[in-house]
Amino acid sequence: MKKRVIALAGRPNTGKTTLFNALTGMRQRVANFAGCTVEKAVGEVEVSGEDVEIVDLPGTHSLLPETEDEKVAFRFLSECAEEGADLLVLCVGEASNLSNCLALTAALKSAGYPVALVVNMIDEARLNGVGVHAESLSGSLGVPVVEVSARHREGLDGVMELLKPHPLRADLTEALDFRTASKSRLRDLQEEAIAKAEQAAAAGITLPSRARLRTISRSIRIDRVLLHPIAGPIILAATMFLLFQALFSWAKPVMDLLSAALAALSEGLRARLPEGMISSLLCDGAIPGISAVVVFVPQIAILFTLIGALEHSGYLPRAGAMVDRALRPFGLDGKVFIPFLSGFACAIPGVMAARTIASEKRRLVAILLTPLMTCSARLPVYALIITAFVPASYRPLGLNGQGVVMAFMYVFGVVMALLLALALKWTRLYEAHPSPVTVLPPYRVPRAKELARYVWARCWHFVGRAGQVIFLVSLALWAMAMFPRNAKLVGPLEAKAAAVQAEPSSPDRDARLGELKHQAAAARIEGSLLGMTGRAVEPVFRPLGWDWRVSVAVMSSLAAREVFVGTLGTIYAMGREAGSSEGLIRALREAKKPDGSPRYTIATAAGLLIFFALALQCVSTIAIVRRETGSWKWPAIQFSCYFVLAYALSLAAVHLFA
Amino acid sequence: MTLDEAALDVPVRITGFVAMDPAERGRLSGMGVRAGAVITKLIPTPLRDPVECLVGPQLLALERRLLSRIEVEAA
Repeated sequence: MKKRVIALAGRPNTGKTTLFNALTGMRQRVANFAGCTVEKAVGEVEVSGEDVEIVDLPGTHSLLPETEDEKVAFRFLSECAEEGADLLVLCVGEASNLSNCLALTAALKSAGYPVALVVNMIDEARLNGVGVHAESLSGSLGVPVVEVSARHREGLDGVMELLKPHPLRADLTEALDFRTASKSRLRDLQEEAIAKAEQAAAAGITLPSRARLRTISRSIRIDRVLLHPIAGPIILAATMFLLFQALFSWAKPVMDLLSAALAALSEGLRARLPEGMISSLLCDGAIPGISAVVVFVPQIAILFTLIGALEHSGYLPRAGAMVDRALRPFGLDGKVFIPFLSGFACAIPGVMAARTIASEKRRLVAILLTPLMTCSARLPVYALIITAFVPASYRPLGLNGQGVVMAFMYVFGVVMALLLALALKWTRLYEAHPSPVTVLPPYRVPRAKELARYVWARCWHFVGRAGQVIFLVSLALWAMAMFPRNAKLVGPLEAKAAAVQAEPSSPDRDARLGELKHQAAAARIEGSLLGMTGRAVEPVFRPLGWDWRVSVAVMSSLAAREVFVGTLGTIYAMGREAGSSEGLIRALREAKKPDGSPRYTIATAAGLLIFFALALQCVSTIAIVRRETGSWKWPAIQFSCYFVLAYALSLAAVHLFA
Repeated sequence: MTLDEAALDVPVRITGFVAMDPAERGRLSGMGVRAGAVITKLIPTPLRDPVECLVGPQLLALERRLLSRIEVEAA
């Protein structure tokens, strides 16, 4: 016998997810609806000894769906009907705004689906003086009605009663198939449903005598400040500054602590284990791989704590509305603002922040463009290249020239994102501006428990899904840098190192030993698969002024952009110690070709900067894009397009500066 | 008159829609913006678009282009 399925349907912001959490507790998982990337939260609850499946459907305003999210809600119901599932649709309505929520209940009932109405936030309705008469509503709509406050777990027994499996399941053979129904049929159904809903509202809802509800009056008062022509943008800027600062400053100590702890673990193991493959696998492959996953968790946790607080408080839709007008000419809307801003700290939380965008196409556009924001991982690369090749004496308009170039790189990322957004308007990814109407929910104080669950779900999602890919790719890159071992290159250096080690201990011996070890590490990379690939692709990158060393460093930076600096340091035998970039900067400046001319020039540097600004040189970002889009198609397209664009503009920059 | 001509903070009643396709009208209707509903233009956002409006017991941000397509009369 098929499991009973309960679908939670309703308008956005009616507390569906809160009810879902209250019913399922921790017995929930996240999947995608069939054939698309819209997320489906599925949970289970035991009722009368049987497991009942609960599905939290995306919010929908009418029977005429506009976005993919809205469409999948109706598609899911039709699929359940087709499969003959033991289905019950729980329409969740906001008690203080119930008249607008009843139409969906009436429409689904008319369409032949078994429906019950859950009047949520009944506590808020009491505060507003709104009277809900469940029996009258039930009589008018012909469906069971229960009153609950999911936040306070009030009235959940009534809902559990509805979830009990019935011996006679509802007959869905006559249920309307939303996938094939014509628009005019849906429009007629909606019109009928609205008329029924109005009748039901007249019979079952009493509104207070005052003109405006308390929660609405309070929200309007707050909006007079938060949407004020002067105070509004200042508060928005301050909020975004706080979010940006939190990502950079608050997360950094924890990230540094995690990095340091894992580095100490790695060094501790290295000191205890005999030198060899196992030691290298653990210390240079596995632990850095784990580190590449774990260090992002504080940023993701902080970002989603703040986004969750903004979303649950009701400010996020208002912030989106404020910037919406400015972004509209580029085919974007206000909701890309948070992903873009988060992208300045790191593309991973930025891509994940795109989840707040309901429209699938618009979410995809945000995911594709967010990695163009200058993330913190680009900074060490930019700092190295700018310091090495932009002379300290360069002072345009009396300003610090190196700082100007750094600022230019930030602006360049944003401009490229906006230009690409414009270009995407001519592709099938473009979707007309979302509904010209946005619901602004009343302001509410976010609840810590709901917020914690929201943050936990996103962190777990990242570690569990994207983390696996990031870890495996880190191991693959380690293997490429380790194998094969070129005995001709490495052997003599290791023999020399062994001979030096045998000498009596002295500062001079230690210095020579350290130097030889660095040279051996450089030789190991040169002879490895990574080094060989670097040499093989050298002709491709020669027009950009890169030799095999830079090519190898760029390839290894796929693990994380900042790895570029470390790899170049290793190749130039500068060691892995912190603060060694001075030596590397000098080595890059002084590097010569066999004919004595400089190996790297300002043109090479300009090309490298442009390349790093555009290319998707981050396997963690690729993994998270794969996770968020549900396939390898989009990360593959994104990687290829950005690579081609990066190469082309880099080449142009090289020619311009040459 | 249309909603863009209505004064701020003055409730008006929707009487109809001008040059709006049935799908868009259907969606608006689903959100409570339909003939007979009382609507109050409240606060323009800092870039003057969209405008926060009160429709029944809910707050909506309506794009300015939409305001000129909603016919209203004094409530």
